[in-house]
Amino acid sequence: MAKRGAIHPANERLLFLLALVPWLADHDGVTVSQAAQHFAVTAEAVREAVRLIAVSGIPGETSQYQHGDLFDIAWDRFEDDDEIQFTNLVAIDNSPRFSAREAAAIIAGLQYLSGLPEAADRNAVDSLMVKLARGASGRPSQVAVETTDAGDTLHIIRAAVANDQQIEFDYVTAKGEREHRQVDPLRVESMDSDWYLRGWCHSRQAVRTFRIDRITDPELGTLPRSVHPEEVTLPETLFEGSPGDVVVSVDVAPQAMSLIADYLASPPSAIPIAQNTAEIVVPHFHAVKRLIAGLSGLVTIIDPPEARKVTADWAARGLEQYGKL
Amino acid sequence: MAQAEVPPRVAVEERLFSLVLALLVSENGLTKSEILATVQGYRQKFSSSGASANLERLFERDKDDIRELGVPLETVDDPANPGNNQSLRYRISPLRYRLPGDISFTAAEIGLLNLAALVWREGSLSAESRRSMVKLRSMGQTVEEPVLGYASRLRSQDAAFAPLTDALDKRSVVRFAYLKPGQTEATVRQVQPLALVQHQGRWYVDTAESISGARKTFLLRRIVSSVFDVEPGTVVPAENESTLALQRLDALWESQTAEVTVVPFTDAAARLGQRRNTVNAASGRLTLHYSDFDILADELAAFGPEVYVVSPIALQRAVRDRLRATVDAHSAETQPVQEQPVQEQPVMQQHMGEKHVEEQRG
Repeated sequence: MAKRGAIHPANERLLFLLALVPWLADHDGVTVSQAAQHFAVTAEAVREAVRLIAVSGIPGETSQYQHGDLFDIAWDRFEDDDEIQFTNLVAIDNSPRFSAREAAAIIAGLQYLSGLPEAADRNAVDSLMVKLARGASGRPSQVAVETTDAGDTLHIIRAAVANDQQIEFDYVTAKGEREHRQVDPLRVESMDSDWYLRGWCHSRQAVRTFRIDRITDPELGTLPRSVHPEEVTLPETLFEGSPGDVVVSVDVAPQAMSLIADYLASPPSAIPIAQNTAEIVVPHFHAVKRLIAGLSGLVTIIDPPEARKVTADWAARGLEQYGKL
Repeated sequence: MAQAEVPPRVAVEERLFSLVLALLVSENGLTKSEILATVQGYRQKFSSSGASANLERLFERDKDDIRELGVPLETVDDPANPGNNQSLRYRISPLRYRLPGDISFTAAEIGLLNLAALVWREGSLSAESRRSMVKLRSMGQTVEEPVLGYASRLRSQDAAFAPLTDALDKRSVVRFAYLKPGQTEATVRQVQPLALVQHQGRWYVDTAESISGARKTFLLRRIVSSVFDVEPGTVVPAENESTLALQRLDALWESQTAEVTVVPFTDAAARLGQRRNTVNAASGRLTLHYSDFDILADELAAFGPEVYVVSPIALQRAVRDRLRATVDAHSAETQPVQEQPVQEQPVMQQHMGEKHVEEQRG
């Protein structure tokens, strides 16, 4: 079996051919640039594919790939006007089915998103899943994802965007400070069950990322948005390093290395097997204390001493609540 | 535009495309030697003395590549000659290849499907995500943009995800080392995966244990070894196995509760308060739901002094023990064993989790 994740250009190009033929057949006389735009590829990629399709076909009765056994196009229109029109079609008359895994991936994606305001009609989503399963060439793999409970905050954010208004809310920071914020919502992002709002923060005069589960008392603001999504370029990655980051070295059982993978300074694959130390990168020691206190017995800070102290104090203050035992 | 002369080289995708076309139109299928002798891309390499081992291997790889795209390439036994490999015929049923004629999607549905495919753009199902979007485009509709821009991701960065998906599809029994939450030593498990589900942001694999047949659920991030394919499995999974697995986790979540108090206006108050099904009473007391005792204990310990566990007593003890272990490991008296200096490694800007969210710079 081909390795997944790796890109197989020939394989992907085959899929493009199989997808392009029925679409072109349905859009007689479409231009190369329209096709390129629709499939989000370059015009040259479309031209190349059309040239290949136009000389392809089936062996036919003579096994000699005779003229009638091949696709054909109106070559004059193609070469003079960059337009695509089939004059002969072979073997393919509709889009290919989804593979079992593709169907499973989309169905799981739908489950995940079905709590969003966009998917408010549960019945419509359910019937869409049934259609997908029917449109797959094999039984979808058994992969499922819990529905996100969007909560009120997402609805308020969406309403704010629809009305082009600001939103206001209270926000608790990891350092324990609570502040009132006025934000122009730009985009909602998520990673698994963690949801984030990216927006223009008026008190910081900058784009900020807010964890939605740290937002309390959200409400529609009274002012219109002053910054809109098309006016700022949001970086593709949710998190970026910052100059103030600190490096903490930890002692970690090799079998627990994957538990801190998100924080490692080097990819886990770069760390020798059986090595029991690693470096993690965090914005400040107050972030590392929560991480380490949640991995008790598996990960211990070696250095710097200040990170050890912050973590020990954090856990000790937690322990004090339970009295002397 | 038939090709008059055989070209010296045929592009791989032309060979694959020609194979799909030839098999789609041949009602009774083609034998391997017919394919190698007549189909564009093979026939150029086929010599009259027969197929070379190289050409046969090429065909085997092509078959896998084509199936990977979801094309139902089937083998049919010759009724006159059952079991004979040489007379095995290959075909693609047009009915099973093409999207059924009665299935179509509205522009709004295509928009939702695109959003759903996009959530997998990172991680081990990213190829499936990309391909299904090409197929969606093939169906013609233009995508409707949602009012609010979303960039949602489901990650499957657990190393075990890909081999477990393979095992699911192949129905194999696998072996791996598992570090049970709350323990510090891993143990080896041998199970047949039946479903992969994500619940509360964590991936679980639902399995049947090889020896006992008992249902066991494992957290993927606690699988600490490679996943080895051991043997073919014997359990036939139900058609709604993954739904059932999610329902079991949900039922656990619904039935198990813990009482805690939180310090107002802290991270714990905000996040635990918004956890699914949490009941907020006055005076900062929360009733939390959970599916795994040890995971909850880890989560609560991470909040340090922001949360106090009232009940159950076992949970209070578990959180207390974790906090004490953290104190002991980090107090000034317990100087860490100085390791050999760690070899200098380039610092990759690979930052995830919540650490770079705005508040740290706010």
